[in-house]
Amino acid sequence: MSLLGGHQPSAISGARFMDPVVLARIGQLDLVARAVCDGFINGLHKAPYFGASIDFAEHRGYVPGDDIRRMDWRLWARTDRYYIKEYEAETNMNFSVLLDVSRSMDYGSIGITKLDYARILTACLTNLVHHQRDRVGFVAFDSAIVEHVPPSAKHMDTILHVLDRLTPGRPGSLKEPLHKLAEHFGRRGVIVVVSDFYEDPETIVDAVTPLRFRGNDIIVFHVMDPAELNFGFTDAQAFEDLESGEQMPVVPDAMRKEYVALVNAHTEALRQKFSEVRVDYTLLDTSKPLDHALFRYLSSREKKLRSR
Amino acid sequence: MSFIAPLFFAALAALAIPVLIHLIQREKKQIQRFPSLMFVQKVPYRSVQRRRIHNWLLLCVRLAALALIILAFARPFVFREHAGGPVGQGAREVVILLDQSYSIGYGDRWERARAGAYDAIDGLGPNDRASVVLFSSGAEIALRSSTAADRAQMTAAVAAAKTNDMATRFSPGLKVAGSILADSPLPRREVVLISDFQRNGWRGEEGARLPRGTTVTPVAIGGAVDQPNVSVTAVSLARTAFESQERVAVTAAVVNRSTRSLSGGQITLEIGGRAIETERLDVEAQGSASVTFQPVTVTSSTRGTVRVGADALAADNAFNFVLSPAQPVRVVVVDRSGTATPALYLTRALAIGDAPRFETTVRGPDTLSDDDLRRASLVIVNDVAVQAGLGRRLQRFVEGGGGVLVASGPRAAWPAEADLLPADIGMPVDRTRESARIGALEYGHAVFEPFRAPRSGDFAGARFYGYRAVTAKPDVQVLARFDGGAPALLERRVGTGRVLLWASTLDLSWSDLPLKPVFLPFIHRAARHLAAYAEPAPWLTVGQVLDASTGSAAQQGRVVLTPSGRRLPVDEEGSEVLELAEQGFYEVRGQSGDAVLNVVASNVDPAESDLTPMDPKDIVAAAVGGSADASGAVADVPQTPDAQERSQRLWWYLLLLGIVLLAADTVISNRLSKT
Repeated sequence: MSLLGGHQPSAISGARFMDPVVLARIGQLDLVARAVCDGFINGLHKAPYFGASIDFAEHRGYVPGDDIRRMDWRLWARTDRYYIKEYEAETNMNFSVLLDVSRSMDYGSIGITKLDYARILTACLTNLVHHQRDRVGFVAFDSAIVEHVPPSAKHMDTILHVLDRLTPGRPGSLKEPLHKLAEHFGRRGVIVVVSDFYEDPETIVDAVTPLRFRGNDIIVFHVMDPAELNFGFTDAQAFEDLESGEQMPVVPDAMRKEYVALVNAHTEALRQKFSEVRVDYTLLDTSKPLDHALFRYLSSREKKLRSR
Repeated sequence: MSFIAPLFFAALAALAIPVLIHLIQREKKQIQRFPSLMFVQKVPYRSVQRRRIHNWLLLCVRLAALALIILAFARPFVFREHAGGPVGQGAREVVILLDQSYSIGYGDRWERARAGAYDAIDGLGPNDRASVVLFSSGAEIALRSSTAADRAQMTAAVAAAKTNDMATRFSPGLKVAGSILADSPLPRREVVLISDFQRNGWRGEEGARLPRGTTVTPVAIGGAVDQPNVSVTAVSLARTAFESQERVAVTAAVVNRSTRSLSGGQITLEIGGRAIETERLDVEAQGSASVTFQPVTVTSSTRGTVRVGADALAADNAFNFVLSPAQPVRVVVVDRSGTATPALYLTRALAIGDAPRFETTVRGPDTLSDDDLRRASLVIVNDVAVQAGLGRRLQRFVEGGGGVLVASGPRAAWPAEADLLPADIGMPVDRTRESARIGALEYGHAVFEPFRAPRSGDFAGARFYGYRAVTAKPDVQVLARFDGGAPALLERRVGTGRVLLWASTLDLSWSDLPLKPVFLPFIHRAARHLAAYAEPAPWLTVGQVLDASTGSAAQQGRVVLTPSGRRLPVDEEGSEVLELAEQGFYEVRGQSGDAVLNVVASNVDPAESDLTPMDPKDIVAAAVGGSADASGAVADVPQTPDAQERSQRLWWYLLLLGIVLLAADTVISNRLSKT
């Protein structure tokens, strides 16, 4: 399947609205990604930013050393000068997903964990990008870098494989691994950060911002379980922190209001701070279908193309 | 009720298990894992009973079941108390031991002790028998094994009892109680021990063991020692000679045993029944003090008393003693006549010292009269050839209790007719070329005992240039030998007296011993030993025995007048000793009852003034031969097997009830789990 033009609008397949829990049961990430993306792309009327990716861009004068296969003989015939054809295709971008695989991501109250959701999301995004002939890369991190697949047009399968065998590991920390990666991403591209962001907003923004320094576009997906968002517990019980193992007695009814207010304040602070540094921030609820995330990505790309 | 295996109560700690299960186990099941407590921790914690019991009924049932099972394992049995107990338990033989030592006269203790005895008498059942035993340092059966119907007699016996001047000793009373109980046919035996339980009264088990199955009920008559209790514990007599008169300075030691200090009190010295000096007395609480009175002149035997003011315990406030002029030891030295300085070193040595003072008379062998011998306690025959007549007189003197020291120099000779000396005097041994020295001493003997310790006198420093070879007779003790093994000093007992034979001289003719530092103490010790000198005791303590034969040579029947005025013939029981039972002065009088032959002062035991109590359990445990609880000892009362089984049957019902509760617990749990 090609993501380039040529597809007729058809009935909405529904895959993008498919319950993530159902998607998580499919198991094979490539199948899931294809199903989601097909349905998603089928629903689009137009894909304007895909049009000229390998088209001719401009001529330039030949200099010794240039490949003569790229010489425009027709122009030589007309002008008796040597010109070299340059194509848009050379500007294909790097697309990397930085996925938080810390222990806290291994939580799900509705049958799908945040990590599974993020895994599907990553597969869908890389699948989408891969079909645009962009180079896809992948990094998994917790408090350090766990997996690293460099951006390449041929790495789609590798990424799916790596995603498939990811397991939640140690307690997470954004700053150190992201700062390392900021030095690593030398070439401009799109970087998607997927995490549950259990840190102070300042710390998170400080960790993410360096990724922008080389001109990368950053898209941040904040993955949260519905239980984390609305704290729907009823029984008074001991809560155990997945990462630290710390336990404390919690009376949910008594503290729900304050908790939700704190989470909202946190997400709002993230949203505001990321917007200040021109980073796209999207809060994802794992009980919601994936289309919201995909839309977010595509609209981001569109803005990018328009601004170019 | 008591328990056969109370250690099982340690298992009551297991009651915590169901509680913990109810509190913790349920909580553990409900641990909610959550990605991060970052926001939860920011919410102010509102304490809600996180760990609360969810099902009180279930918990109570489980706890009750466990407690009942543990109680059953502890094997409770019913122990029936003595007073008014069921008829089926049998009649009791009760011995009421009432302490009558003088310490129980402190404050109102004696009244309380008697009240305790009355209570014990009132607690007797209709079939019980009881004895009343009064004890102090001895024990006296006031009433033996009367039936409960004779309560009036028992009460009268207790009412008639008085405190005495003796000290507390528990073992005589317990032994008497043991003998009474051992003779009793009644099935249950009990001792009610009423005392102030002074620590000084118990010196270990002392063989006071009651018959098996005896119950001891201690009744402690104690209380705070906050009332003044000052006692005179001793006096010391410092003698000085003043213009041929003897003066004695009396120093009294005073101890305050109470927790209240005494200030501004008075202490009085009485001589001959007349107060001659009164001093101010200040003693700290639990402290002591000494008071020295002005010296008094002593011309004859005089009674003395040091007395302090009245306090809660009156018996120890007075201390009696007898002031006697020091009696000199009369020594006759038999020396050869015609010498300018007869027995110079000997007489000089005897002239020194005043404890005792030696009164020396020098006589020639021919001038020694019978009167000299009658007055003397010791005769020293200093290198003199003794004729047969003198030898026989000396033999009679020794047989009558006198002492003779014979120094055998070159002129010494002894008649064969008088068998007095411990050895036959042989030929002189000349050691002028190589002087002899004392090689061995019998340090265990009274003469040489003071020289036993290191640096306490060195006899080996004296050199002997000559001595007489002596042949020791059988049954003679050799007290010193020369370095060649020849005897130097020998002792023999003849009749009631003693004879010492010194194989060399006591002057410088054959040795330089008189120039050595050991000479003086050696002569003094030998003279004291031979004269059988004993310092007369100024006082005795109640409980000691009075030897009425001392103090006078008269041997006919005598009468002792006690401080309370009773006249006791001392040969009443064929013996001339009498145990002192009262505080005061005992007078030994002749048969006519007029002439006072001797006066002996008697004092209470000062240790009894110390009212520090002990734990009655120690006595009870020693008396019954086992452990004792706080209220007394409970030894195993003999019971029939059926009765034992009946009294222990309770465990069976407890166990049954526990099992029923466990079953109920199962039912309740099942119902709860279904809901």
